[in-house]
Amino acid sequence: MGIDISLTPEQQKIQQAAREFTAKYVIPNAGKYDRAGEFPEFLGPEAVKAGIYPPAVPKEYGGPGLDLLSQAIIAEEIGYGCGSFANILCGNMMSAKLVLLAGTEEQKKLYTKPLVEGGYAGFALTEPGSGSDAGSISTQARPDGDEYVLNGSKCFASFCGYATNIVVFASTSPGKGVKGLSAFIVEMEREGMTVASVEHKLGIRSSNSVELVLKNVRVPKDHLIGSEGEGFKYAMKALDTGRAAVGYVAVGVAQRALDEAVKYCKEYIDVNGQPLSAHQSIAFRLADMAIQVEAARQLARRVVRLQESGAPYTTESCMAKTFATDTAMRVCAESVTLLGPYGYSQDGVVEKLMRDIKIFQIFEGSNQIQRLVISRNLLAR
Amino acid sequence: MSFQLNEIQELIQQNTRDFAKEYIEPIAGQTDKENSFPQKVVEQLAGNDYFGLFLPEEFGGSEAGYLSFVLAVEEMAKVSAGVAAILINQSALAGYALNKWGTPDQKKSYLSSLITGEKLGAFALAEPGAAPGAGPNKLTAVKDGGDYILNGRKSYVANGGQADFYLVFGVTDEEDPSRRMSSFIIETQTPGFSVTRTIGKMGQRACPWAELSFENVRVTAGQLLGNEGEGSIIAQEAKAVANVAEGALVIGVAQAGMEEAANYAKQRIQFGQPIANFPAIRNMLAEMSTNIHLARLAVYDAANMIEQGKNIFTEAAMIKLFVSRIGQNSLIDAVQVHGGYGFSEDMVVSRYYRDVKGSLLIDGSADLPESFIAADLLD
Repeated sequence: MGIDISLTPEQQKIQQAAREFTAKYVIPNAGKYDRAGEFPEFLGPEAVKAGIYPPAVPKEYGGPGLDLLSQAIIAEEIGYGCGSFANILCGNMMSAKLVLLAGTEEQKKLYTKPLVEGGYAGFALTEPGSGSDAGSISTQARPDGDEYVLNGSKCFASFCGYATNIVVFASTSPGKGVKGLSAFIVEMEREGMTVASVEHKLGIRSSNSVELVLKNVRVPKDHLIGSEGEGFKYAMKALDTGRAAVGYVAVGVAQRALDEAVKYCKEYIDVNGQPLSAHQSIAFRLADMAIQVEAARQLARRVVRLQESGAPYTTESCMAKTFATDTAMRVCAESVTLLGPYGYSQDGVVEKLMRDIKIFQIFEGSNQIQRLVISRNLLAR
Repeated sequence: MSFQLNEIQELIQQNTRDFAKEYIEPIAGQTDKENSFPQKVVEQLAGNDYFGLFLPEEFGGSEAGYLSFVLAVEEMAKVSAGVAAILINQSALAGYALNKWGTPDQKKSYLSSLITGEKLGAFALAEPGAAPGAGPNKLTAVKDGGDYILNGRKSYVANGGQADFYLVFGVTDEEDPSRRMSSFIIETQTPGFSVTRTIGKMGQRACPWAELSFENVRVTAGQLLGNEGEGSIIAQEAKAVANVAEGALVIGVAQAGMEEAANYAKQRIQFGQPIANFPAIRNMLAEMSTNIHLARLAVYDAANMIEQGKNIFTEAAMIKLFVSRIGQNSLIDAVQVHGGYGFSEDMVVSRYYRDVKGSLLIDGSADLPESFIAADLLD
């Protein structure tokens, strides 16, 4: 695909920069880090140099100060190279967005400083007994003088093995469910913070997710984000944009799956001396994939327009996330089908795409939870 | 389901279930993780007469019928798709072809030792594609006196690297498209033959894939399987028969994935109750169950037809079209039911997700299932 000329000149520059970054740093390294299950620490500093990281941080905090569409484009372009690397560079914005949204000036500075230097931030919400049901979180934060003391454990905690600061959700009023949840900034170096184990995953294997144990972790009271009991509310607000970002990355992954299929079907010459793509049944399958990918892209970009206009966009961001990730799942699987034994082998990239994409239907709110939100909003009208 | 299995078939199904639990399950995860060939399990497959299940008694087989074989494949695939794939390549591809087209001498030396497990066989048809101009079946077999000289490469060969002999398809007649190919039995010690590399893959890792090279490999006419020019017919029929078994493999994996998801849904508590209570989850499981049931009927029916000696090209293509999708979609949903845990390598469902996609693969436009089905209907 060429540069999208319907974008502003600035946005086109960002797309070009993200594409070059992807070609230079993402595509050549993605397979290697996937196989090793290693976190690509080099990524952040290089992305800072390219002017695309940390995507959501404004200029006043040392970030690139990008508009929302530029951020979406970065996610898609890097996602094209690797869903896992994109998750690291863009998914890690989830917590930053929450801090930027609800934090004090001091908190914003504290939180964004390592990021603008090319570092990483973490997000710890999920617990073994609490996935879709955030109200059942059992990690607790107890006030003690001018500090809070945190105790509990988190699973699937993103990037925490490499993060400087993380956002942790803990209950300050046990028994009150999501209304008792509070969000804290916790530095990973604080005493009592332990990475108990690293998850070995089906896909996005280079994206670090860990089991985190908090044992009598003391943080100053000014590390509470906003007010007690408001944590879930902030998380939901941050998720409105966070889940759209998942959609942008998924569109990138799906576009890659499509492009790989197109390339293969043009190059593979069959017994009759014709390329696969000369067969209408193959060509139409490619057309179907392309229709779905473009529809997903446009639905995702609609979220940006709503956000910029100030209109509510929760339902639309749920739709975009669900449609883009379901589409990407289908398109990646179809790409493996079209590429046959080559597609299933590790000689090519599409088997990795199919492994990587599955989690996108699950994280940042599973697609079942998205449908729950969409249907509730629909029926409440 | 009311598809009536006879006593022997039921017994084979039950015995295989026990066999898989006792011998395959303990190594299934490890062989996947380490990409290692389950040599011991292969010996146990032979020792328990699985390789000759539907093959003639005369050569050491059990003649229990193709449906019995398919039932065994399904049960094994519930535990390890890779092991089931080894069995399919040994018996349904190499075994079936040798039995149907082999000379008495070829059967005596290859079919018998394949059934006893003394020799592992493989089917070398596909070639390295995905490169401009590199379509399938470029390997040439040129007649030289009474011999043939083979030159070229084969790729994505299952049981590759471990097999003792390969059924290799090469071009003997460039002019006549229908009689282009011939099939040869090539032993691994033949000069000029080499295994170039093994090929990493998404799943089914117990069953290795390899790339083979043939440089002036000289074989006598005694190594020709069937008549010269009969290669396409052999490949097409053996692959159709194997497709039915691959359908059983996919169903086995899908069934196992569904059961994992159902068990998980009953145990996983969210919002104060097991997630199995939520229609969103129940509907996914209901859809899986429906699809698997219908797919299974199609596979058993085709296996039955094979036993009756009927042509199953259309049915095999329908299985390739339908069952592969059912398998894939079942596992996409089975992981979904598990949520984030389904993405963990520690959960067997994540292996099933990788495994299910490795069978019923389409290789090239000549292999498009829709074409077969439509041709049967329209031409």
